[in-house]
Amino acid sequence: MEPETYRNEVENQWCPGCTNFGILAAVRKALAALDLAPHEVCLVSGIGQAAKLPHYVRSNVFNGLHGRAIPAATGIKVANPALTVLVTTGDGDGYGEGGNHLLHALRRNPDITVVVHNNELYALTKGQGSPTTPVGEKTRLQFTGVEIEPIEILATAIVHGCGFVARGYAGEIDHLSDLLVQAIRHRGLSLVDVVQPCVTWGERPPAWYRERIEKLPADHDPRDRAAALGLAASQRERIPIGILYEGPPRLVFADRHLKRTSGRALASLEPVKEDEITSRLARFRR
Amino acid sequence: MAKRVLMRGNEVIAEAAIRAGCQCYFAYPITPQAELLEHMARNMPRLGRTFVQAESEVAAISMVHGASAAGVRTMTSSSSPGISLKMEGISYLAGSSLPAVIVNVVRGGPGLGNIAPAQCDYFQATKGGGHGDYHMIVLAPSTVPEAGELTMLAFELADRYRTPVMILADGMLGQMMEPVLLPDPVDPAALPAKPWAATGAKGREPNIILSFDLDPEGLRRMNLELQARYRTIREKEVRHEETETEDAEIVIAAHGTVARIAKSVVRMARAEGIRLGLFRPITVWPFPYEPLRALSSRVETVLTVEMSAGQMWEDVRLAVAERAKTPFYGELGGVVPTPKGILREVKRHVG
Repeated sequence: MEPETYRNEVENQWCPGCTNFGILAAVRKALAALDLAPHEVCLVSGIGQAAKLPHYVRSNVFNGLHGRAIPAATGIKVANPALTVLVTTGDGDGYGEGGNHLLHALRRNPDITVVVHNNELYALTKGQGSPTTPVGEKTRLQFTGVEIEPIEILATAIVHGCGFVARGYAGEIDHLSDLLVQAIRHRGLSLVDVVQPCVTWGERPPAWYRERIEKLPADHDPRDRAAALGLAASQRERIPIGILYEGPPRLVFADRHLKRTSGRALASLEPVKEDEITSRLARFRR
Repeated sequence: MAKRVLMRGNEVIAEAAIRAGCQCYFAYPITPQAELLEHMARNMPRLGRTFVQAESEVAAISMVHGASAAGVRTMTSSSSPGISLKMEGISYLAGSSLPAVIVNVVRGGPGLGNIAPAQCDYFQATKGGGHGDYHMIVLAPSTVPEAGELTMLAFELADRYRTPVMILADGMLGQMMEPVLLPDPVDPAALPAKPWAATGAKGREPNIILSFDLDPEGLRRMNLELQARYRTIREKEVRHEETETEDAEIVIAAHGTVARIAKSVVRMARAEGIRLGLFRPITVWPFPYEPLRALSSRVETVLTVEMSAGQMWEDVRLAVAERAKTPFYGELGGVVPTPKGILREVKRHVG
């Protein structure tokens, strides 16, 4: 499969030069590397600039309520476990409005991949502080600087024993795509926080981030919880990217559900056969 | 001395809230009312008051719930989908008899809809919206200056009747700029005391603010008390405006932005010899049933025009009953009716 397979003709609404294009390229590349056909994938989102990503991918798409992508994705995955389900959300949508859902997804452990475009502000509403804006940063609303601490979601995920916790960078497409491949392969909830500098509303240019981004050393053991926690904390001097943490195996939500029901998925990816389409259409022609 | 300033609707509502003595404002960003947050963020802290950008609309209305229980004037604002999220909190405010001001800068719906002006949240605003037998007072400004005046009034009414009050604006009112004569500020310290508020029980019996009573008899009493208050509000607080209705053969019933457009239509129609008037509810709850009933016995037709599929139309028909014809013209999805379009509809129903 080629990344081009996932290209569609939808007009892109992001700003010119937006680093979301890097995440989009990485998503397409990862899906191609996994050899997933568009009909085997469902991208799920809420509201925000990140939530537009599914619009630009030729696959199944569910774009729902602000902050509610994770519950929607949980529903989709439990109804059709054969689908590869990816949530694309942002720091406002996923950590603010829908923060509660992420916390409970960490408990429930559905087999979905949550990709967070973390640009440290609300971009769709033009530059207000978000749950990840650093203290002191001046924004459109926080004129004298943000006063409250950024949320430490990656550390929270690690504490919850999340099976796959990673940080990527929108400007490192190959690295990010590789992270996404592993995140999707992981059975259970995977959380990938992507550092995504906002070229329009952000305080600092991508170059500022570029200087601080560093790939995790080869000897980092993702099973080392203490080391992972140290790497997960928001910090401004250096921003480590890579797989921070891989928790011990846990029961996956849809598996538990299937065991208790018929054991058969409610929906499948089997294409509907031609004679069945004909017979279904015939019912409307009566 | 007071002077006229050119301001955007969202800013005027924010500034009026400040002048009405709003001490705590809580909100979450959403288009098309982001400027309201900006004005509050810029001005509340320097006055020693509170601005909080909440993590969600649900958090914001709950912050209002808390601040109101603590006895201060408080407000939140949002646009349609965000207001839907606040509905549970509004029901609790109503059930707890707590004053609060909620601003809805309505946009096209349902669902995500769009960010264009609409009036499709009329039912939600006037018929309860949240759960339970409650109403809130709903004020529908049709110009930017009026948005400011009604915001001042909203705080007064909220305190007087211990009820949530909604400003039902729309994307056009929120974004439009007009010259405004700002009202004189109220001194929050000079406002009437709220002896019911949870301000610390030292030296008195504790105040208990509840929206529940497990005993059906108790909850019935609570509901009857609410209904009695709603009766008083219906008697005393109905507001409306009539334009050129004295000799009218046909009147347009419209609120908010559409009423403003309809005023131009009245002039256009009169120039062509059509005796057109305008009936504009200012309070859409309580709806001005009596004045419209009186007017409807003198005219042939009451044409309701809305940016909805016919929501206020139901109240118009309740008021008019069979006394006049009650056609409807609505635009949907954020489309704003033009004076020409409304005049065309008027002409279909005269002669």
